[in-house]
Amino acid sequence: MSSTPEASHDGADPRPRAYGAGRALVAVYGILALAATARSLYQLGTKASEAPLPYALSGLAAVVYVVATIALAHNGTRMRRVAWTAVIVELVGVVAVGTWSFIAPQEFPEATVWSHLGQGYGYIPAVLPVLGILWLWRSDPARLVRAETSPRTR
Amino acid sequence: MRGYSGRVLAVLVSVGVLATALTVWAGVRAARDRPVQGGQLPGMIAVEAALVVQAVVIGVLQAGGHPVPDGILLWGYVITSLCLLPAAFAWAFVERTRWSSVVLAIAAAVVVVLQVRIWQLWQ
Repeated sequence: MSSTPEASHDGADPRPRAYGAGRALVAVYGILALAATARSLYQLGTKASEAPLPYALSGLAAVVYVVATIALAHNGTRMRRVAWTAVIVELVGVVAVGTWSFIAPQEFPEATVWSHLGQGYGYIPAVLPVLGILWLWRSDPARLVRAETSPRTR
Repeated sequence: MRGYSGRVLAVLVSVGVLATALTVWAGVRAARDRPVQGGQLPGMIAVEAALVVQAVVIGVLQAGGHPVPDGILLWGYVITSLCLLPAAFAWAFVERTRWSSVVLAIAAAVVVVLQVRIWQLWQ
């Protein structure tokens, strides 16, 4: 993943290969968004009254994942702000609901995407927002420009 | 009904083994900084063919009276597992870097996880 400033001399894109990595991240987000949306629609559609709080939280999480997927894929100036908001909401959500579900498991008779730090999804919901934040920081256009103009601060 | 479940398990395990092999193959190519190549298409077709067989077996046995407590969820998983690998290959046409291999490895790994979930729901 190392990119040298010299790379720009032969006309090649001097940026790290993060473009592809960003797309891989979008793929994982897409799969999780699909899984969370399908599951919450099914839960809310068939048995919303059984466990309203967990199912409502699942629905909220699903919406945030869909927004994050679209915003990360779009990668425009405003969409990057939307993506920042979405990944931070995810991180806060997974930590808050995760902690809450450990303290008060009786509130969560049914698992949500975020309960127990995303245990039911292999803890991916806890890891993804961190990867999302790292990616957004790394691919930040202002940071890349700074890195190119003064290589020592990279 | 015991024998029927054995057949479903056999198909699930076959899909799981094939998809695991594809995960490793794509993972090795990702580690070597290589994109998905056309030669991996037969691997994907093998997994997809096994998945189609699985969908037919599950459909026939369910129609034949095997009780499935959560049919909608089961078919949600079956259909999702059918869509993942074609999506990963479509991705590979656009993304000609190592990251297409990463995406394929992830998609194949998710197929393996879905097989476990399908087995849990089938029982």
